[in-house]
Amino acid sequence: MTVYESDLPGVGKKFEVELEDGERLVIVTHNTGKREVYLKANPDADGDKLFEVSDRLARKIGTILEGAYFQPVQAEAVETMLSDDTYLEWYNVSESAEIAGQTLEEADIRNRTGVSIVAIQRGGDLISPPTPETVLEVDDTLVVIGEREECAEFETLLGDEV
Amino acid sequence: MATAESTALIDVGILFGAVALAGLVANRINQSVIPFYILVGMLLSEYVVGRVDFPALLGTDSIPHGSDLALANTDFVHVSAEIGIVLLLFFLGLEFNLDRLIASKERIGKAGTVDLAINFGAGLLLGYALFGSFLAAFLTAGIVYISSSAIITKSLIDLGWIANDESDAMLGSLVFEDLFIAVYLAVATALVLGGGAVGEALGRIGVAVGFILVLLLLVYLGTEWFQRSLETDSHEFIVLRALGITVLLSGFALSIGVSEAVAAFFVGMAFSSTEHVHDLENLLEPLRDAFAAIFFFWIGLSTDPSLFLGVAGLIAVAAVATTPTKLLSGYLGGRIYDLSERRSVRVGLGMTTRGEFSLIIASLALSGAGTALPEPIARDVYAFAVGYVLVMSVVGTTLMQYSSTIESVVVPRLEAGIGSASPSSDD
Repeated sequence: MTVYESDLPGVGKKFEVELEDGERLVIVTHNTGKREVYLKANPDADGDKLFEVSDRLARKIGTILEGAYFQPVQAEAVETMLSDDTYLEWYNVSESAEIAGQTLEEADIRNRTGVSIVAIQRGGDLISPPTPETVLEVDDTLVVIGEREECAEFETLLGDEV
Repeated sequence: MATAESTALIDVGILFGAVALAGLVANRINQSVIPFYILVGMLLSEYVVGRVDFPALLGTDSIPHGSDLALANTDFVHVSAEIGIVLLLFFLGLEFNLDRLIASKERIGKAGTVDLAINFGAGLLLGYALFGSFLAAFLTAGIVYISSSAIITKSLIDLGWIANDESDAMLGSLVFEDLFIAVYLAVATALVLGGGAVGEALGRIGVAVGFILVLLLLVYLGTEWFQRSLETDSHEFIVLRALGITVLLSGFALSIGVSEAVAAFFVGMAFSSTEHVHDLENLLEPLRDAFAAIFFFWIGLSTDPSLFLGVAGLIAVAAVATTPTKLLSGYLGGRIYDLSERRSVRVGLGMTTRGEFSLIIASLALSGAGTALPEPIARDVYAFAVGYVLVMSVVGTTLMQYSSTIESVVVPRLEAGIGSASPSSDD
């Protein structure tokens, strides 16, 4: 696979990626950060524009393509509402989380925030229900149930303020 | 009766409103905005609205008429237009990366030289035939040589050609033209402001060259200073400092008889090697576009469309003569870039658009009226340039839009011709 790079003075940069069957993926990175993605049926064909995305979205898509994207469920992004004000949410335990390395008993999450941890996803395993002795590890995904306020409170324990 | 002061703000409001509306219309009908900015300026000028006698038409005195109704060509408009020129060239400099140019100097150099020789040469001949003086011919050559970076780049993106191979050849040729035009403007400004006398013009060219050398030295040695000059987290300060440096240096250049555009180009180049390029592009682009719009509007405002009658023949001759020259030079440029017949034809179609730089040369011609150029010739060159840009910007964008139709007609013939001569030459 070859990637061709060229400058587009006044516009930005162009990358052409050789795909299978002679197809080419053309990515134009504008100076503004905007990316335009084109597909060419063969090296000599005109590009068909597939989509354009902002700088931020492009980076996110890039990490997904790379297989490096693991940032389960941001609270705002996906949340399941059970009733009027009760949410079922997923949180990731990051390095910076205050509760990482503590047992559920030590972390005392229910008393401090009001939310309950109903399950923990660890690698391929599901720990449900967790016991007071269960240790919270970095990269665990916590399935949490609680009211909106309580969930917000819980997020502060994770250290990734929103 | 309203005083000049009390109407100044509303005048500027009308200006922006009219330009915004012109942009909207241009966008709706898929045309470049530049000719529309010029046309709306012309419409609101003393030459068009100013000549309409509404009260007589409607039988009432309550409507202002004549020059009261027209938008005055005030200092504000003129200075804003100058800032537009300065920012246009500043951005050229900013985009102009010496390393990149050197990296692909061979192709850019070859394609650019072909473009220059054919179009500048044709322009010189044409200008001399039309106006009969060397300076007028020199200005005409610049006007018909330089393609419009702004319109072409935007069309490339709009049409999706930016992803295709022809974009390299087109943008490469534009870079060559832009670099040439920086030098050209320095010489042309010196000639025009030098009043036509050879001795004085030479003196001014000396000053201009000296100034450019100083600027180059500044660019070369001053990277660190330029880097530090914008070292701040505040967007506000970056914009103010960049404008402070650029406009001040450009103004200083003009005050000693050197082209402000050239100074702005080199200041842009100086910033291009700092880490602030991205910020400057993002923050100053809207400013550039706003002031450039005023520049085009001002061009219209200063144009008496009735002068077009006198130069309509010249414009027609130039359009007919210089569309093929760009088609040819673009085609050859495409071949130098090893593009196929079809794409080379497309490069030619794309390069025919003339725009902002031709107008900068036109405004330069106007400033030499009565000194370097006899008043009527200066007026003719100016009206010619404006009319020519109006025609060529529409012709160019239209050629690009209908390129697939044109290609399907032209390319088989070219291939047949070339094919019989040298069968293996097509890619």
